[in-house]
Amino acid sequence: MMKNNADVVIIGAGINGCALAYELSKRGKDVIVLDRRHIAAGATGRCGAGIRQQWSTKENAILAKKSVEIFENLSNELNYDIGFRQGGYLIAIHDENDMQQAKKNVEMQKSIGLDVRIIDADEIKEIVPILEPKGMEAIGATFCPTDGHADPFKTAYGYAMAAIKQGARFYKFTEVKKIRVKDNEIKSVVTDRGEIKTGVVVNAAGAWSKQVAKMAGIELPNKPVRKEALVTEPIKRIFDAMVISFRHGIYFSQMEEGQILGGIPSPEEKTGYHTEPTFSFLQRMAYMLGKYAPVLKSINVMRQWTGYYDVTPDALPILGKTSIEGFIQCNGFSGHGFMISPMVARLLAQLINDEKLDLPIERLSINRFKGKVFKEKSVVG
Amino acid sequence: MRIEEHPILKFERERKINFYFNGIKMEAYEGETIASALHANGIKVLSHSRKGRARGFFCGIGKCSSCLMTVNGTPNVRTCITMVKDGMIVEGDKYDLPESFPYRKPIKEKIDVSMAIVGAGPAGLAAAIESAENGIDAILIDENPRLGGQLIKQTHKFFGSSREGAGKRGIEIAKELEEEATKKAKILLNTSVIGYYDKGYHFLVAANQMDGILYEIKAKKIIFSTGAQENMLVFEGNDLPGVYGAGGVQTLTNVYGVKPGNSGVIIGAGNVGLILSYQLLQAGVDVKAIVEAMPKIGGYFVHAAKVRRNGVPIYTRHTIKEAYGKDRVEGAKIVALDEKWNTIEGSEKDIKCDFIAVSVGLTPSTRLVQQTGAKIKFISAAGGWVALHNEYMETTKDGIYVAGDASNIEEASTAIIEGKIASLHASNSLKKVHGYDKKMKEYMKRLEELRSGIFGERAKFAKNKIYEEYYEIRENRRY
Repeated sequence: MMKNNADVVIIGAGINGCALAYELSKRGKDVIVLDRRHIAAGATGRCGAGIRQQWSTKENAILAKKSVEIFENLSNELNYDIGFRQGGYLIAIHDENDMQQAKKNVEMQKSIGLDVRIIDADEIKEIVPILEPKGMEAIGATFCPTDGHADPFKTAYGYAMAAIKQGARFYKFTEVKKIRVKDNEIKSVVTDRGEIKTGVVVNAAGAWSKQVAKMAGIELPNKPVRKEALVTEPIKRIFDAMVISFRHGIYFSQMEEGQILGGIPSPEEKTGYHTEPTFSFLQRMAYMLGKYAPVLKSINVMRQWTGYYDVTPDALPILGKTSIEGFIQCNGFSGHGFMISPMVARLLAQLINDEKLDLPIERLSINRFKGKVFKEKSVVG
Repeated sequence: MRIEEHPILKFERERKINFYFNGIKMEAYEGETIASALHANGIKVLSHSRKGRARGFFCGIGKCSSCLMTVNGTPNVRTCITMVKDGMIVEGDKYDLPESFPYRKPIKEKIDVSMAIVGAGPAGLAAAIESAENGIDAILIDENPRLGGQLIKQTHKFFGSSREGAGKRGIEIAKELEEEATKKAKILLNTSVIGYYDKGYHFLVAANQMDGILYEIKAKKIIFSTGAQENMLVFEGNDLPGVYGAGGVQTLTNVYGVKPGNSGVIIGAGNVGLILSYQLLQAGVDVKAIVEAMPKIGGYFVHAAKVRRNGVPIYTRHTIKEAYGKDRVEGAKIVALDEKWNTIEGSEKDIKCDFIAVSVGLTPSTRLVQQTGAKIKFISAAGGWVALHNEYMETTKDGIYVAGDASNIEEASTAIIEGKIASLHASNSLKKVHGYDKKMKEYMKRLEELRSGIFGERAKFAKNKIYEEYYEIRENRRY
């Protein structure tokens, strides 16, 4: 039997929904998480799982740094190994323009206490021996050794299991049909399995957030964009870092078991709900991988798949309150939802629980789209 | 380990060549796979897992990942379907990437064809012949080095109707189909179809890694006759080299003339297990026992009688508990089961043997057809996940067909007819086939005949379930 009331109903059991359920139930809130499918069924389970702190704006860098601080102790806190490893992020610098931007970024990142530096082509090869700087068209890179990755499935499950222990309920394969609003206040959520009375609804529905918001009469500017990724067969562990380039849009790293996992914008990239993987992506990614790391030309690709970025006009998430009392946004992550989820969940839990927030989040409110939009530059994939 | 004398088969070995295994020079014959050449040289341990466990090959048809080795510097090569070449360097425990890689730019070939058939077993061969008869251009693709699928190792005589070759041996039927298909259709061997993409039309990508060719195939219709893969049983030591799938053992003995060992235990007394046991006896291998968990033998009585006459004990209501040995099979422990399938304490028997063949059924190979978006469903009677289809073998995705074991675990005669039905239906929807109705009716009748009798019941049940689910979906699509 489904419970018919809760303090908070979270729509979407992706990483952010799960993490928020954990943070809220830790604060004694009675939480229900709904998902049309299951935990990590959407973008979470399809993502590159990188955790990066090297951002171009200070606010984003701080948010990411705080998340890493939580990640570092998360396996202990959840009593579940989430596979968090800090192999660093190596971000290619292609020319003098890049170098100028990199210097600015590094200066800002250092000012908030990040261990990050600019390295030359020789050091690129020291950190990731299979890389070919010429093929990468790189004159150097920035490198932050405390960046890393975690297992997205294990992280989501770890959060969910810990939340359940604290009393949260997860209803899987349960679709939200309606959000009832009266006098500008959230009243209940209607699902295909019954109605749940609640005062707070969190919209963490990823690429479907726009539709969920509409149920409460809120318009979101988010767009789903199909992204593709692939994984190769496992080879001997060679490198720990995530390699990325903002110019080529490529990212790849080596998984715990030795596979190379990565992505690049597909030549057929589309807005809207298209789930089919494309051959042009496979060709493009294989070609670029071969340029970045020529030895990878001799290994086989095992799988390719697609997932959605939930993209906002400025590539930043939409977090916090809306004009409807009790309707909280936690979406629009534009491809970076996993890496900042621990801190996002903590901040939203503080917001919902009327605590003082560790970081201000007004700048990420939906209201920002009324004025001029400034886009985050450090976006990949 | 090579079989020199055989009552049915004559192994015509080609030119003698040399290859290197972990630096040791070995002899082989052209036309054999790396794995069979290694077996002939007494090498059963092909590599080790990263946790140090010995690895041998299991399925022998490129469908499991047990036989991966590094060949001429390329890691993860399926040695069971890759031909050995003169001077080849084969390495077992090498996960390093090569210093200099043997990469060459692939040759790209674009193919535009009316019908693409994936898998050149009985269903695929029959489909290719059928399409040619209907004047439809077809391409037949298989990742193995030769045509015929599993038919090329069936030395027993077939039952069923004479039109599908009853009374003939599988190898003879395979030869006839091969000759006809080779004359009539374009064939790509050593070529793996690696992906399906919907580009508004059906698009397949296939690769011949050995020759470095990448095929981009645009097809109006596709038939997936991708066969099946061997099921594994859970028991201690089931990953020891020397634990083989029944099909893998047949490949070794009947195709390449190499013994899997000197004495074996067979798990499963269905037709495959019984026929395999008899084939092993013919190859001069000692079959120590056949173990069957069911209270009765599952296969035909005639097959069981043949092995019994040769003094092979069949233990029903028994199962394998353990395969033991240092780095390869040295024996099997079997145990009796009670009515509730629990093991009976104190009933263990220790049988010394140097290989174990597992023949506990097959699972349809549906990964490729699944990529098309055709609806896949788990249907236990069909052997696992299968693409839903109608009686013309068309799936829920227009122009995508399945045939043979990939659509329901059955046998070669029905696979042949299914291949013809799929191909005839696809041909007719491309270009009106003269006398279509009469021909289709005839095929349907033959299929019905083959499935009559007690051994056809399961197949009929599975097929009806598949059709039912198919029509439910098609109706929901408001056709």
